[in-house]
Amino acid sequence: MKTVTVIVSPEGASRVETNGFTGDQCRQASAFLEEALGLKENEQLKADFYKTEVRDQQQARQSS
Amino acid sequence: MSHVMQIKTQVRDATAVRAGCVRLGLDEPVEGEVKLFSETVTGLGVRLKDWKYPVVFNTTTGETKFDNYQGHWGRQSRLDEFLQAYAVEKTKLEARRKGYSVAEHRLADGSIKVSLTVGGAS
Repeated sequence: MKTVTVIVSPEGASRVETNGFTGDQCRQASAFLEEALGLKENEQLKADFYKTEVRDQQQARQSS
Repeated sequence: MSHVMQIKTQVRDATAVRAGCVRLGLDEPVEGEVKLFSETVTGLGVRLKDWKYPVVFNTTTGETKFDNYQGHWGRQSRLDEFLQAYAVEKTKLEARRKGYSVAEHRLADGSIKVSLTVGGAS
C-alpha cells in the first residue's frame, strides 16, 4: 500500500514521509505537499528510494 | 519508507486559513487593511485567542505580520496552534483534491498525524 504521512508539530512545522514507493515515485507523490505547505527545510532519502536504480544497474552489468 | 522531508509552514491559501479558523473556533478572517499597533498592513487578518491585534497573512508572498509585543499582547503558542491547524487543513484539502483517502490522529506529544492513502477517497 502506498501512503503519505504528514506529522504536523504543535509549532506548525510538517514532516512528510512517503511509504511503499520505490525510486523517484515518492518524490512525485509528495511534491504537491511540498508546494502546498511552504518551504522545504531538508530531505532524507531512504533505502527504498534506490531500489529501482540498483536493479537497473545490476541488469545493465549482466547484459554487458 | 522511501523519503522524509521537513517543511516550514507558509500560509498561502485563504480557504485553508478559513478552515483553520473554524477548527479552532475563531472568527472568520478579514481580508484587507489591518491595523497593528504601529502600522497598517494588507492581507488576511486572523484574530487569535487572547491576542490584542490580529495576525496578518499575505497569501501571495507567504509573509506573516503581527505585533504581540514579545508575548505581552498574545502568546506565541496561540500562533503555533493556528499554524498547526492551517497545515492540517491544507494537507487535507490538497489530498482530497488528488482523490487520496485521509485519516487524522492526535499524537501524545501534541502533534497531529494526517495519513493519506493513495488510491482511495474518503
